[in-house]
Amino acid sequence: MEKTQTQKARVPALPDLFDFSGDSVRIRSARCGSCGTYFFPEYHAQHRSGCSREGVEPVLLSNSGKLASYTIEHYMCPPPFKTAENISPYGIGLVEFPEGIQVAGLIMESDLDALQIGQEVETITYALYRNEEGQDVVTWAFRVLK
Amino acid sequence: MREISIVGVGLHPWGKFKDKTFIEIGTVAIANALKDAGVEWKDVQAIFSGIYIYGGNAGHISGQYLESVFGETGIPVVNVYNACATGSAALRMAYNSIAAGEVDTALAVGVDISPEGFLSAKSDNPRQDRDVLRWRMAGMPNPVYWALECRKRMARYGTSDEDLARVKVVLSQYGAKNPNARYKKTYTLEEVMNSLMVCDPLRLLEVCATSDGAAAVILSASPGAVKKADRPVKIAATTMGSALYGDPTLRISALSAPAAAEAPLLSESYSASRQAYKKAGIGPEDIDVLELPDNSSWHYLQYLETCGFCGEGEAEKMLRDGQTQIGGRLAVCPSGGFSSFGEAIGAQAIWQVVEASNQLRGRCGERQVPDAKVAMAQTYGLMGNSGTTILKV
Repeated sequence: MEKTQTQKARVPALPDLFDFSGDSVRIRSARCGSCGTYFFPEYHAQHRSGCSREGVEPVLLSNSGKLASYTIEHYMCPPPFKTAENISPYGIGLVEFPEGIQVAGLIMESDLDALQIGQEVETITYALYRNEEGQDVVTWAFRVLK
Repeated sequence: MREISIVGVGLHPWGKFKDKTFIEIGTVAIANALKDAGVEWKDVQAIFSGIYIYGGNAGHISGQYLESVFGETGIPVVNVYNACATGSAALRMAYNSIAAGEVDTALAVGVDISPEGFLSAKSDNPRQDRDVLRWRMAGMPNPVYWALECRKRMARYGTSDEDLARVKVVLSQYGAKNPNARYKKTYTLEEVMNSLMVCDPLRLLEVCATSDGAAAVILSASPGAVKKADRPVKIAATTMGSALYGDPTLRISALSAPAAAEAPLLSESYSASRQAYKKAGIGPEDIDVLELPDNSSWHYLQYLETCGFCGEGEAEKMLRDGQTQIGGRLAVCPSGGFSSFGEAIGAQAIWQVVEASNQLRGRCGERQVPDAKVAMAQTYGLMGNSGTTILKV
């Protein structure tokens, strides 16, 4: 088998956190059928007290949500954060999805000063660095919807 | 219930001591506490010690290492870790051991020598340690969490950049007068507002550093020890709280939080403080001195509300009106706070109790709160854990 034929151009930095197999990038969550709570990551359960914890199903969150808060980090995060180059200053957002859960992640915007609470943002992938096989190692990130 | 008092306290000053061991600085704190209490080592009947997580095997049994310095006596030595509330856990266990009648006199101690720079992930298994996720996938050091909450607060209540800077201005005046503080420089509003932006909207001088330090407290219900002590301080309550389901706080290490709040922000601290008020039979209006965990200027403001000292969105007014200063309605962090000391994870909760008890003993010189009768020490910890201690004279 030719390795180049099966090799993917993008691989996630860590598995099971987001899905980019389709047209849009979606955060992977799970919903408890008993208490209704959404988890992220899907394997980190956080049930309501007294819940039977039955009927937990994986779900993909909507591709877009509202910016609930954000910050601009002016210092490069130390390892184990790994990027091809120093990306500071960089944005980090907390996004409220329609499902009722807020998720944090990098914000990819050229003008970070223009960020505002309440903006509609979409989930995208961001290439942190390229691995030895020439693949982009990606994480989820957010971008303002124009 | 037995009446339990703090009969002696001791510190090793806060700073950076990379050439010292946790055993060396812990020894100084314990020796100072024994001397202050006039208690002999043989009279210490139990030790509750904060686990020092960067100290390898020794750090995980810190109490045994510290006991051996003073002489092993066969007493129970228990080591405990609750992140930034580690000292609260040690103190509470010492208190409960005495309250249960198991012993009359116990030592609670906490020690920390922080690694250089940002604290980082301690494991590499993302499925069980979500701390790995926040570092690798999102580049989120601790101040990012505080900045995200701070920005929400600013949008909701109109907190200004000047309010955030004023916290440092006030605390730096106290730190300058505290011989045990690491940072002793005073700052003007302009200087703080011109300091480097670290994690927008938080500036360098509005976020606490990581420090090294050690703190020890000797608790006793022995009438002899209490009588001999210099102005003993009664423990009215020492409680711990965990978070409540539906707390909207994005907790350090988490990457998600519920969008609709079903519980207060910092619900672990809400829980611990409400338990303490109930146990002590008092309310926030009865407190004269408050040591709160001012990891950032946001914490200073938020904790005033979380612990019930004002209503939602009213903390800025308390600060602006001088109500949180010495001589105001409630003296907040007259020690200088984490702002002047920096965080020393395993030690800071006990340090807060030492500072609070020194105020009640009238030992604070130029930063003494006049006529202080009731003091409270409030902590904050990773993954929703918190402790509250209320002291009285």
